[in-house]
Amino acid sequence: MVYILWIGCENDLTINPSDQYSEDTFWKNQDEAMSALTGCYRILQGGAGVNWFLETDMITPNGLAYNESNGTDAIARGVHNSLTGLITNRWEVAYRGIGRVNAFLDKIPVVDMDADLKARASGEAKFLRALYYFYLVDCFGGVPLILTAPDPATQSLLPRNSKEEVVEQVLRDLSEAAEALPKSYSAASDQGRATKGAALALSARVLLYNERWAEAAEQAQKVMDLDVYSLFGDYRGLFLLENEHNPEVIFNVEYQLPRFPHDFDHMIFQLNRPAPLKSLVDSYLMTDGESIDVSLSFNPARPYENRDPRLLQTVNCIGYMYNGQLTQPSQVVTTGFGLKKYTIYTDNEAKAIVSPNSSEINPILIRYAEVLLTYAEAQNESSGPDASVYEALNQIRQRPSVQMPVIKPDLNQDEMRIVIRNERRVELAFEGIYYSDIKRWHIAEEVNNGPVFNYKGEVASRRTFDKDRDYLWPIPADQIQLNPNLEQNPNWY
Amino acid sequence: MLATLPGLVVCLTKVTQFINHYYKNMNYNRKIKIRLFYGLKKALRVMKITILILMIALSCVSARSYSQLITIKADKNTLTGLLKNVEKQSNYRFVYDKSELAGIYLADIQLKEASIDKTLNLLLQGLDLHYKIFGDVIVLRKEKSANAASQQNEHILKGIILDEKNLPLAGANINLKGTSISASSDTDGKFTIRIPNGAAGASLLVTYVGYMVKEIPIGEAADLKINLTPDLAQLDQVVVIGYGTAKKANLTGAVSTVDLRKQENAPVTNASQMLQGVEGVYVNQPGGQPGRDVATVRVRGQGTLNNNNPLVLVNGVEFPMDNVNPSDIASITVLKDAASAAIYGSRAANGVILITTKSGAAGSFQVNYSNYFGFQEANYLPDFVKDPIEFMRLRNQAQINEGRATVDYSEELIQEYEAGMRTDPAVYPNNDWFKIIFGRGAVQNHGIQFSGGSEKLTHLLSLNYLNQKGAVMGTDAKRYSLNYNTQAQISDRLKVGGVLNINYKDINGPTAGVANLMEMTFKAQAFHPTYLPDGRYANTFIRTPGHNIYRNPLVLANEGENNTKEQQGLVNIFAEYELPFHITYKINGAVNKGDDQVTKFVPDIYVYQVKTGEAQRVPYDGGNPANRGLRKTSSGALNTTLFQTLNWNQLFAEKHQVSALLGYSREHFSDGNFYAQNEGYLGNDLYELNAGSANPVVGGTSTAAKMISYFGRLNYNYKEKYLVEANFRYDGSSRFAKGNQWGFFPSFSAGWRLNTEPFLRDVNWVNELKLRASYGELGNERIDLFRYVNLISLGADYPFGSNVSSGAAVTNYNDPNITWETTTMANIGIDASLFNNKVSLTMEAFRKRTTDILQAVILPQQVGALGGPIQNIGTVDNNGVELVLGYQHQFGGLGMQLNGSVTYVKNKVVDLGGQVIYSGRKIITEGYPINSYYLIHASGIFQSDEEIANSPSQTNNTKPGYLKYQDANGDNFISESDRQIAGSNIPKLTYQFNLNFNYRSFSLNSFFQGVGNVYTYAENIGAMPFWFGTSVPQDWVTDSWTPENPGARLPILTTFEGSETENFRSSDFWLRNAAYLRLKNLQLAYDFPTTWINKLGLSKFRLFLNAQNLFTFSSMKDFDPEKNLDGSTFYEYPTVKTYTAGINLTF
Repeated sequence: MVYILWIGCENDLTINPSDQYSEDTFWKNQDEAMSALTGCYRILQGGAGVNWFLETDMITPNGLAYNESNGTDAIARGVHNSLTGLITNRWEVAYRGIGRVNAFLDKIPVVDMDADLKARASGEAKFLRALYYFYLVDCFGGVPLILTAPDPATQSLLPRNSKEEVVEQVLRDLSEAAEALPKSYSAASDQGRATKGAALALSARVLLYNERWAEAAEQAQKVMDLDVYSLFGDYRGLFLLENEHNPEVIFNVEYQLPRFPHDFDHMIFQLNRPAPLKSLVDSYLMTDGESIDVSLSFNPARPYENRDPRLLQTVNCIGYMYNGQLTQPSQVVTTGFGLKKYTIYTDNEAKAIVSPNSSEINPILIRYAEVLLTYAEAQNESSGPDASVYEALNQIRQRPSVQMPVIKPDLNQDEMRIVIRNERRVELAFEGIYYSDIKRWHIAEEVNNGPVFNYKGEVASRRTFDKDRDYLWPIPADQIQLNPNLEQNPNWY
Repeated sequence: MLATLPGLVVCLTKVTQFINHYYKNMNYNRKIKIRLFYGLKKALRVMKITILILMIALSCVSARSYSQLITIKADKNTLTGLLKNVEKQSNYRFVYDKSELAGIYLADIQLKEASIDKTLNLLLQGLDLHYKIFGDVIVLRKEKSANAASQQNEHILKGIILDEKNLPLAGANINLKGTSISASSDTDGKFTIRIPNGAAGASLLVTYVGYMVKEIPIGEAADLKINLTPDLAQLDQVVVIGYGTAKKANLTGAVSTVDLRKQENAPVTNASQMLQGVEGVYVNQPGGQPGRDVATVRVRGQGTLNNNNPLVLVNGVEFPMDNVNPSDIASITVLKDAASAAIYGSRAANGVILITTKSGAAGSFQVNYSNYFGFQEANYLPDFVKDPIEFMRLRNQAQINEGRATVDYSEELIQEYEAGMRTDPAVYPNNDWFKIIFGRGAVQNHGIQFSGGSEKLTHLLSLNYLNQKGAVMGTDAKRYSLNYNTQAQISDRLKVGGVLNINYKDINGPTAGVANLMEMTFKAQAFHPTYLPDGRYANTFIRTPGHNIYRNPLVLANEGENNTKEQQGLVNIFAEYELPFHITYKINGAVNKGDDQVTKFVPDIYVYQVKTGEAQRVPYDGGNPANRGLRKTSSGALNTTLFQTLNWNQLFAEKHQVSALLGYSREHFSDGNFYAQNEGYLGNDLYELNAGSANPVVGGTSTAAKMISYFGRLNYNYKEKYLVEANFRYDGSSRFAKGNQWGFFPSFSAGWRLNTEPFLRDVNWVNELKLRASYGELGNERIDLFRYVNLISLGADYPFGSNVSSGAAVTNYNDPNITWETTTMANIGIDASLFNNKVSLTMEAFRKRTTDILQAVILPQQVGALGGPIQNIGTVDNNGVELVLGYQHQFGGLGMQLNGSVTYVKNKVVDLGGQVIYSGRKIITEGYPINSYYLIHASGIFQSDEEIANSPSQTNNTKPGYLKYQDANGDNFISESDRQIAGSNIPKLTYQFNLNFNYRSFSLNSFFQGVGNVYTYAENIGAMPFWFGTSVPQDWVTDSWTPENPGARLPILTTFEGSETENFRSSDFWLRNAAYLRLKNLQLAYDFPTTWINKLGLSKFRLFLNAQNLFTFSSMKDFDPEKNLDGSTFYEYPTVKTYTAGINLTF
């Protein structure tokens, strides 16, 4: 009986998970290491890349958010707090990416794999870490600079580093990445991976944002010298699904149906979000190269005629063909304007309405036109409007589908600065650049303070921007609670 | 469990034998008085035979040996029982009229190897029966002589035993006081007892389990009608405890039992609801979705930060309460303190609920049928502004109030709509969407139960069918359940049995999910159309930010498919063998298999704009797939349990009762799932996986866990006066790392029955008085699997170009050192039964301290934004008292019963090592309840711009009429650092009471439940005005701030989106007192007099009317206070009011 009672007494209670690796059993071979790198890229879809992309232009006079999702409009109106969705999301997602890269870079040295691939993969990881830290610095200023695999014991209470320290690390990562990465990938199955050009272009952007003009121009020049990238002929087509991975694309976020969808078509076309504002529309020049205030060809009764072709390639205006029909006010109710970039819809062909979360076009995070604009701005700031500045800008204006007149000669540095800034705003509208631009140009308190207008010139919303506070976002209060060593930004509580 | 094939052949032979045998004993002589019912009876008999065969096939074992010498040693038994005993030992078979032998009860018969004649003479001694032997058949008959009794100096006394509702009580014991003359009542409650003629002036003692002993003086009357009164204290009641049973009087732990009689016929659709009313148990019924209405059960508060659900065991095996048919439940015991629960060790810290399903009893074959019909409707719906014009103007006003430059609805539109409503209601509808989507859902339930058996074999089969239509359109469920129970005494030493519980549910819900349908219904305004005149679904021409895409709720409720089929089966078999030295060995094996299949088809449905006819596809949010497509998910779980016990029980010197239990148990849990998804269907009608052609997706996984346990109990009592008990369990669990897997959980308890002491024995008004105390440790291992090791999760995939690359990442940081959470509980209690058992009282005080509490720690996101580890972080106390009071009285013909209980539990975090854990609006910190709300204090409403200017800085959009917050940290700025602790959603006080009346054949039962000192946060739909396109409760029209109404309760009307960071930031203004008192159940029943129904061949016929959730008293007017207090929105599936009527008959 006792035997029966104690039968089968092997008391082994160990059960291993059947669908996950444990940290001890992982990091053994090349496939495992490469999948960990894939996990670092995955972050791009989760907010660092796409959620940001259309959102931040709605905090600028470029666009208006029709609803309150993500708290974007609260930031635009200056009524946000440290727990506003967009703010907490950026902090969280960027650090998630950084943590994955750090874990990868910690483990990769011991993985038994092809040495060249190991070097390249490390370069890709460093590029991603730089990108994620760059997003943080751009919004919050200095942040805790963590470069080792996640470890609560040593990292939980680290304070913020200075902005300069973080930027230095970003540049160091990018320079190492540029060393390690190839100019391009031959396999179609490697499309979307970071390249040498991406690392150089991002470092040009980081230097530009930090007003290190000469270095920025130098890095931009390196990208131009790579001889890999060129402007895509059709400005509207640049953002169409069929032209993904065209020669202008330096780095994009990959999407693919059905597993990896985003919501651009539904959001942009159905929800009219973002809705371009009159201020952006007015900034497009006339085909004579003059602004609408100056040009004699501007007809207020037909305000969208004879304009920089990029206007109607970017903005859906009432009374013009879009998706096979004349656009009605009821289709663009927020401001009377709709966005065309990054939708599948074209002007003359009627396509079926895309369901929510069923879009797959790759948002372009870095493209060649930006590099040219970076070069032009950096060069103009460091050495003045020399010929290379004209050359860079005119390339963009002379894009086959744009064909705007070349820049007037003999501008002084200040005049050229105005031209460059407007060119940047127009060319890169709704690509997640302009919010950073108005902050680094220190014009946000002028351009984003007061009413913004719809197509009729009526007030659509009111903006406030506190110059003593709003150049930086607040550190999320819940993070300060968890780590009291995090110092809050000025005038935030 | 079924025998193998050769076994079956043997079985069939035995079946035939058995049926023959059974039929000999069946009563053919009884005259069928009403021919009309002959057919029915015949049908029942066919059923009986069918059941019999089933039963025998399952319990086919026999080891009979015949000898003609008979040995009987019986203490108390019926004559028929003894005759069967004789049949067992010999090959004699008895033939008799059952009605003549019914109720004859013999006490203390001792025979050793006696001949058949000697046996019969002894058995029939003094009875007016004589026998005749024909070969091996013996015919028993009543004496013809009318005055046989008087000749023997005796007379016959007849009577009937009825309960308080005049229903017959079968099996009551009737004893002539001071003698061994006894009888017992038959199924009709009737009994016959012979009284020696000299016994005039003596009295009868009537006893029945669960009822008070009644003493009846024998008078002149030849026919007695004796009504028994239920005994509230029920001290003789045997209650189910861990791995055994115990007399309630001898319990030393805190054990509650559910009084199932109170629940009889209530339209309980989920077994969890039956726990309502148990002292120390808090049952929260958050929603009434058919098939998904499992209640949240908390035993003595919230002890852990993890899973707080009690361990539920059905017939000793872990099984979801959700899948037990309520009418199959024979008993529910709740083990509340360490002493009673420690035998379940590491899973017992949240209390243990033991459910036993019904089994058959020896006696005549019984059929019971019951049903109810009725309907359910939403209990609480908010009083929203519904008029389309008023809605548009109010929303515009809200936007003006918050300083918007534009409003959503232009004056032209409003005027157009106002005019259009009169002339063209198809384009300008005025719909009440609450009336469209929420309605009355029909409910019906049918249950039939067959039971019966002999001394050696009992069986019960019950079948139940429940059909519910939901109070929300597009929701319904059916449940089919089967319970089969058989037990066989194979030999004097060996007993075997088996239980089969099978439950099948078929649940339909809206394709996009209930939450989505509810949200879209609340977002649909009066101007949102239903159908076009041609019957197509309509779309609105009015755009509402926050609700830009109109998802016509009719589409969401009715189109597509979201069906869940759940099967759960429990096969549980046991064998019990009596070893020498009063030791019993029991082995119990069970297989618990649960599966479900979910079919979700998202159709392509278009809505057409009322003006332009423009088509737009209705998106089904929250569901895979996004396009027209099908997703099928199949999940399955298999849990196996094997436990063995040795039980020893001995009485020494008639004083020292000692019992001991030792056991070993192994459990294995495994579950897994897989799914497949396909798109590219040609239409909405044909949607098997094979019919799709695009974007196929597959996935699936599986997990497993193990437990090994040793447990034991030692129990001693001295003359049932001093009681002591010790329990232990040694548990090993696979949820922890090696080295931390095993935990030891002991408990000790003692009791003292003061009423047995000499100094109280003669105190008349004290019937029972017991003091008890217990102390012990329990564990909790209920955390996710594999939380002790850092895992690399797969699935972080990314598509490089055309190629999807498999991605891996650590998403959670884990702590390898985690181990059991330990709960130490001390309990003292008093049980009293006073004034002739009219008043019963139980008082308990407990101190429950949970140490090494397991908590998911949130890490700062700078550490890779990882999910935090679960760690043993601290200590939480749940201290409380329970008071149970019962009172009953008979006022002439009117009987009244009142039982109530109050539980007060104070939850407090004692030690967190100085840490503070924040999560969203809640905080865990020392000195306060777990997960207290942590909010900014709203101190009033700003009355002027000056006041704003002179107050701590809020946002630059703050205006007069906005909420004013308290600057708690004095930095002159309102921020998250100004938060303060403000209430908790763990109730401190729960109370409940029954108030029952009965008068003649009528009975009125009511059950009330209340909760005090509990708060919940009001958010989103219905709580925050115009939240993403929803409407606003009428209060905002009448009681919100305006310059003219500065004393209003609510701030100025703004939209949620427009002042999210001002009025609607997290503050205690939105914290609501969720205390309530609710009439949960009210039942009126009528029992037809037995004299009438006997003519119909029935022994019981009851009609009843029932209402659930009829009244609620609460300060929450628009929202159900019994809602899920942790919910993220006020409107989940509504709770329901249920009205039913039905019958209950027993043949």
